[in-house]
Amino acid sequence: MASLRPLRTTSALRTLSQSTKPSPYVCRRITTTPNLQHNTTVDPSEVTHFNALASTWWDPHGSSRLLHLMNPLRHTFISRCHSSQPDAPPTNHKLSYLDVGCGGGIFAESAARLRGTGSVTAIDPSPEVLSVAKAHAKRDPGLVEMMGEGRLKYLNTSIEELPLPGTQRGRQYDIVTLFEVLEHVTHPSPFLEHLLPFVKPGGWLVLSTIARTWTSWLTTKVVAEEVVGIVPRGTHDWNKYINEGELREWFGNKEGWGNVRAMGVVYVPGLGWREVPGSEGLGNYFFGVRREGEGKGV
Amino acid sequence: MPSRVLYSIRSCSRISLLRSHIPARSWYSTAAASSTPGQPELYDVVCVGGGPAGLSLVAGLRSSKITSNLKIALVEGQDLQKNVLKDASPTIYSNRCSSLTPASVKYLREIGAWDHIDTSRVQPYQEMQVWDGVSDSRISFDWASASGLALKQPVDRTTIAYMIENLNLTTALLSRLSELDSKLSISSPTRVSSVELGQETEALDLRSWPTVTLDNGRQLAARLLVGADGANSPVRTFAGIPSRGWDYGRHGVVASLRLEGPGWGGEEHKIAYQRFLPTGPVAMLPLPGNMATLVWSTVPERAARLKALKEEDFVAMVNAAFRLSPVDLEYLHTIPEGQKEEVEWREQHTPVDEQKIPMRAVGAQAGSVANFPLKMRHADTYTGERVALVGDAAHTVHPLAGQGLNQGQADAAALVRVIETAVSQGSDIGSQLALEAYTGERWQANNALLGAVDKLHKLYSFGSGPIVPVRSWGLSAVNAIGPLKGWFMRQAAGT
Repeated sequence: MASLRPLRTTSALRTLSQSTKPSPYVCRRITTTPNLQHNTTVDPSEVTHFNALASTWWDPHGSSRLLHLMNPLRHTFISRCHSSQPDAPPTNHKLSYLDVGCGGGIFAESAARLRGTGSVTAIDPSPEVLSVAKAHAKRDPGLVEMMGEGRLKYLNTSIEELPLPGTQRGRQYDIVTLFEVLEHVTHPSPFLEHLLPFVKPGGWLVLSTIARTWTSWLTTKVVAEEVVGIVPRGTHDWNKYINEGELREWFGNKEGWGNVRAMGVVYVPGLGWREVPGSEGLGNYFFGVRREGEGKGV
Repeated sequence: MPSRVLYSIRSCSRISLLRSHIPARSWYSTAAASSTPGQPELYDVVCVGGGPAGLSLVAGLRSSKITSNLKIALVEGQDLQKNVLKDASPTIYSNRCSSLTPASVKYLREIGAWDHIDTSRVQPYQEMQVWDGVSDSRISFDWASASGLALKQPVDRTTIAYMIENLNLTTALLSRLSELDSKLSISSPTRVSSVELGQETEALDLRSWPTVTLDNGRQLAARLLVGADGANSPVRTFAGIPSRGWDYGRHGVVASLRLEGPGWGGEEHKIAYQRFLPTGPVAMLPLPGNMATLVWSTVPERAARLKALKEEDFVAMVNAAFRLSPVDLEYLHTIPEGQKEEVEWREQHTPVDEQKIPMRAVGAQAGSVANFPLKMRHADTYTGERVALVGDAAHTVHPLAGQGLNQGQADAAALVRVIETAVSQGSDIGSQLALEAYTGERWQANNALLGAVDKLHKLYSFGSGPIVPVRSWGLSAVNAIGPLKGWFMRQAAGT
């Protein structure tokens, strides 16, 4: 997989980046020149992997337990992004969400239930997990009602196939979310490029992912997948991880994007996920960036 | 994990008559709609049991801004409107009283229920006298003598706890609920006929939703089913949650008593008394004026005999329980009647410091003498998928520390907080992931208390032998060490 990746590393570090041993010194620069073989950034092997996990997605003690436990922090982080705005979002405005890589719908369901939510569109390229998401939403009459009104939508599509804003049926969203997805994307730069137009001016792109460090290799690959087995083997490819600094740099070069915020989180067995300031450089972190412009002041 | 397999053992046998569409009404905002045959009404919370814990939970959810939109149904087998305190005489008290800790009172204030309490019928007490019926070693609790840690006293600087009739509490909670809104669906007196998991239709999958069928034919499907339905909780049985423990082989005898005066400290300084006898502790707890409530735990035969005595003999036995030796008491329980004269005669030969024991009882309120078996029970967990247990459904404790009702109030407060968190995070309030924090917060705390009370009961059930001097020394030692005593008192106060 590493050979297919559009990474541009310095020649001195190239050998390290392609060896199986992780190194925190590898610089994974997110390039702006896509090198695509298909018209999608979705990796078929990832779709297969998550199809296989679909059945246990909502088991509270199953393979997605860590994701379930992390979900409340996603809302915490989004609230913090909003409260960091110089212009406070109007209280009566109902937010629209686009959840990219929604999986079984953990975040999409929770966002849909919030009082301040107008609509949620959740997309995922894996048909199996998407059918899990739809079947699970059927357990909640409130969500069923929202789906009936078209305010909660699950779409089996990649971001590239979603109608672009400005085109027929295309639209923009107050919040575009990308939770635990970026580390599964082979070509992160073109993928992010595809996402950006979907954010309303004044809206936020909010994501969470894993930094590529010694710590994250040890915790997410060795401990989580091999020793404890809390995450199914093969879920993560450490080489795909992206560091907070890399994202910051990438968005720093993007005109019209700012207000970058990050929050590092650490899983403490027995306690759950805890915010640890500074840990965005170590492992799991949230990242938020705001699209400049008037918009609706969101 | 037992909680994971709860539903696999439940079968769902009802033939589905559910319609294939969902009701066209706003889920979070509308009041109860009428039930159509075969189609359950949908609720966010169905609370089975309208006792102090259940009512406190519902009032807490209704009072919170975060959870006030939840659609809630309360089901109670008794007639809630009949069981209210009204035009109550100041010399007649219900025999079911509790000692409310400052922590419980704080919560009741927060949810706006305390304003509805008839405070003329609440008796705060400032001192506790506890002594060993075999060795006479004694411990006294009051905030002044618990030196050293004065800063951590409850807000009300002198009050240890508040004696209150359970009826006063439930009446206040009900009037708080009717003050809040009329949207709450209360079914009372209504019994639960069955609880089964729901059905799947084309539009809606209620297979994880407990569906409660009431004896009036209504069917309520619950996003979260709360079992506040007492020690023999049908909700707990439905959820397949085992409850373990033992019977103490003791009964609690309760009665409302009239004393010769308001107590040795007067109206402003009330004292609670408890004497440990080998058969169990006997407690005299102050009520307003000259009234007091008795809780006497003893073996079932003696309990039955006490209950059958004439008033004057029963009153004599109560006075004897705080004054005479265990040997004298044993004899008094063997005679069928005439305890009054026997006690009078024996008291002349048993010197006691009257100021250290409760004032004499002079009368027992007619019909107030009752008894009930004492048990220790603890559910393995308080939560399952779409199920949570509160109060006696989750745990039953020996009454000697007066903590049972307070544990239920703490459960309700904790479950309200957990549901608030779930709502504000967009979680399904019935999901195990959202609920497990509730078990996490309460199970260990309750278990510790259950264990401590159980050990105390066992410690004092020795009538003789080497344990007696050791426990007497322990009691005297705690009494002498101010900070240690302060710690015990804060445990009792729930702070």
